[in-house]
Amino acid sequence: MRPPKLDELDEEIRGHIALSIQERIERGEAPEAARLAALKEFGNVLLTRDSIRNVWRPRWLDGVEAFARDLRFAVRSLFRAKSLTVTVVVTLALGIGANAAIFSVVRSVLLRPLVNRDPDRLIYIRQSAPGVGTENLTFSMPEIRDLTSNAKTIRQFGDFSTVDLTWIGLGQGPRVVKAGVVNGSFFDVMGLRPALGRLLKVGDDGPKAAAVAVVTHKFWTTVLHSDSTVIGKTVRLGPGMATIIGVLEPSVPYPAETQIIANMVTSPHHLGATMANERWHRMTELFGRLAPGATLEAARAELDAAHAAMLHAHPESHAAQERVRLQVTTLRDQLASPARPILLLLMGAAAVVFVIACSNVANLILARSVRREAELAVRAALGADQGALRRTLLAESLILCAAGAALGLMLAWPLASVAGRYAARFSIRALEATVDASVLWLGAGLALAAAVVLAYVPRLPSSTRSGGLKPVGGGLRMTPGTNRRLRILATTQIACSFVLLASAGTLLATLNAIQTAHTSFDLRRVLAIDVPPPAAGPAELAFFQEAARQIGELPGVEGVASGMIVPWRDPSSGLKFQFDFEGYQPAQGEDATTCRFRPISPRFFAVLGVPLLSGRDFTDEDRDSTELVAIVSQSVAQRMFPNGDAVNHSLSFASGRRRGGAPRRIVGVVADVDDENVVQAPSLTVYVPQLQMGGPTRLFVRATGDPYALVPSVTRVLRKMSADQAIERPTTLEDVRTEVLTPERLNAFVFSGFGGIALLIAIVGVAGVLAFSVSARTREFGVRLAVGATPSQIVTQVLREGLSIVAVGITAGAVVGFGLARVASSTMEHVRLLGVLPAVAAAAVLVAAALVASLIPAVRASRVDVLQALRAE
Amino acid sequence: MTKPSEDREDRRLELLQGTLDMLILRTLQWGPQHGHGIGQAIRAQSDELLKVETGSLYPALHRLVKRGWLKSEWGISEANQRARYYQLTATGKEQLVRERTKWSQLVHAIGLVMNPTSSEEQGS
Repeated sequence: MRPPKLDELDEEIRGHIALSIQERIERGEAPEAARLAALKEFGNVLLTRDSIRNVWRPRWLDGVEAFARDLRFAVRSLFRAKSLTVTVVVTLALGIGANAAIFSVVRSVLLRPLVNRDPDRLIYIRQSAPGVGTENLTFSMPEIRDLTSNAKTIRQFGDFSTVDLTWIGLGQGPRVVKAGVVNGSFFDVMGLRPALGRLLKVGDDGPKAAAVAVVTHKFWTTVLHSDSTVIGKTVRLGPGMATIIGVLEPSVPYPAETQIIANMVTSPHHLGATMANERWHRMTELFGRLAPGATLEAARAELDAAHAAMLHAHPESHAAQERVRLQVTTLRDQLASPARPILLLLMGAAAVVFVIACSNVANLILARSVRREAELAVRAALGADQGALRRTLLAESLILCAAGAALGLMLAWPLASVAGRYAARFSIRALEATVDASVLWLGAGLALAAAVVLAYVPRLPSSTRSGGLKPVGGGLRMTPGTNRRLRILATTQIACSFVLLASAGTLLATLNAIQTAHTSFDLRRVLAIDVPPPAAGPAELAFFQEAARQIGELPGVEGVASGMIVPWRDPSSGLKFQFDFEGYQPAQGEDATTCRFRPISPRFFAVLGVPLLSGRDFTDEDRDSTELVAIVSQSVAQRMFPNGDAVNHSLSFASGRRRGGAPRRIVGVVADVDDENVVQAPSLTVYVPQLQMGGPTRLFVRATGDPYALVPSVTRVLRKMSADQAIERPTTLEDVRTEVLTPERLNAFVFSGFGGIALLIAIVGVAGVLAFSVSARTREFGVRLAVGATPSQIVTQVLREGLSIVAVGITAGAVVGFGLARVASSTMEHVRLLGVLPAVAAAAVLVAAALVASLIPAVRASRVDVLQALRAE
Repeated sequence: MTKPSEDREDRRLELLQGTLDMLILRTLQWGPQHGHGIGQAIRAQSDELLKVETGSLYPALHRLVKRGWLKSEWGISEANQRARYYQLTATGKEQLVRERTKWSQLVHAIGLVMNPTSSEEQGS
């Protein structure tokens, strides 16, 4: 039944009056008199109309109205307690904001489905060698053929490898693009669709197909300006021309972020015999889509068997100590699993912050409610029942928590992007993290939970308790129960803050150790530049020699060298081989003969500042036609030649493993440099002359002044030599290291943030509890002072109270923290959560902060006016 | 001497709490009627002793509609104007029966209290 509209009521009333007038006229009254009489008889039209409308008003509106009254009242009363309101809102905002931000990252990484069609059937196959610490060994084409040729559980396989190609065209370039080279069924296996045009298909396979490329959505929007006419156009890609056939839909770039994805014809490397036939030439990732009815377990069993058979058939391709094995997972798990422990850790930290925030706010509210006992007692005496009082408190805490949530969600925005970038190193999906509706719901839920808890924290004056009105005149009185509750809450905060502070300290200490670690590289003066050569072979070597000569003549250049990898920046896991050393017999099962392999130009060590310990550097005379030579790192010299006579002994690639099995004479020993890890570790490295091995792609320029000032002139020289030359990422080694350390920095930053927030809240909590306890005991202090206690005794007593809270809190925190760290370290190997020294430092910080926080109430307690205190009640 | 009408104004009775609903239901037993008509009917039926204020009548009518005892529809009144006609529903009729029973019980009970020895008084 719908309530009548306003004009219907008016019409009904008008009708009534009209009837009344007509009746009177019929009785013989004059029309005008009849009208007036009828109106008079009817009475107040508006009042009647309102009372009719009241009949139709739903009952719940009354409840809403009452609650709105409560809310208005709460706003007024909170407005009178501004500092409390601000503290509570900010505290809650920090707690809710941190949780919302972390949650949005967790959701994007762990919970949100992939765009790939049917992602549960999409599997990722990886070969790893735990024996030599290689997580991803990748596959060579012969291995892929062995694994895939007879698979029944996998309907289709997709393979993916990355190469750098020079791109010229569509207004771009020459620039180097990262290209994924894939087979025709790759996109079908991945279950991806084109945003525009078409993707690669089986017809694009093989060396005879036309060269075609798909651009990624990111490249298309950011570099090609979302121009839809690029489809069908051709660009120069590597040595040949290729047609752009489509734009890939936005998707998680895995296994590598590339700008384009092309068929094998575009990459000369993929067409070569080495790629096709060499079992050791591993650079390809493998995906598969489960056949109908097949399970992941079945696929795993079948592939494992095929892999074992392959290892058996080609024992020379893997050394036993590499302990090569196969991993088969769904792509979704592969993307999420490295991030899970870190994200759960962050969730834990955020939850701890929320607990601290809530207990602190509970403390403040509890103290406030004790202060308000008089007011509540009066309201109870005036007839407010328990429900009404509770509703008042609920209204207040709802307002506080809603404000806190609103502010918290505003904070969540920047926090989520920071946390997303942080988590991106474990899972690229974290970059998709955004704050949206579901996060708003989370914030609202947290706020509501906090509000309800807070409304039930304070005791209500009960009507049965005698003397409910007594406190009105006097000061504050605190029952032992309230006091205990306040202390427990404060102790909880201290314990939680201790855990967070100690872990933040540990992370900071680790970061500091890494950043100040000594390396043999001269970080500040060396500029590293990616220079993908226009052609392979002898021409490439000539190009680099000439480039080094010309750049070396530039003013401000002290030296130029070339190599294959920029320390820390370039992946180098493929550049590791096993060597035999003259006169050295590795112990049973020892993997010591696996060394890093680095082809370099002469003067490389001088340019990078690596000291030559004995022997000589390479020269331009160490070329293909002369004696084969090598330089080894100090660790190699010490380990393989314990008598200190490495120079003039020889080494060679382990037998049967690679071309160039001929022995090389060691001509020099250089200091260890670890170009894979920022934290320097002893490294076994074998250097060989570029002129005997080939493959330079990186230039190193040592500057006398600002290295970046050389970039334009170096670019000019290279472009003059070859107009199509791509020149990428000129960066000093120091900046490379900084960039590499970004995740660690973020790591420490995030935890320090949590720790700082926690410390702040906990200090406010301790100070609040003591201040309140002091003001509630004014009389007690008055009496003490009156009977002869000195002010300093009072100060000491209050300080002792504060410190006891902190001491208990820290002890509890230490027990829980180290317990948690033990549990966590069993699941995360390389994350050190708690160090002893940072824990001690955190404890010291907390104690110092608590002392400062207790000092103000302590001094106030010692200055109590005796007479006033005694007169107070 | 006062005029008879004024005399009647003085004699006018206050309605007992809760009886208006019953009177409305009873009045509508004769058929659909608009608000004015219901007021007039109660007045006439009570020999001008009961006068229902519009301020009470209309809220009561709407309350009964809301409870489902009455339904209403628009019609044309004697004054040739649109007027809302009220009508008993089936549940309204049942309610009238209930109220009537309750009422006669109440009258009987009050009568017993007020006139414990009515026969003696009649006799005296």
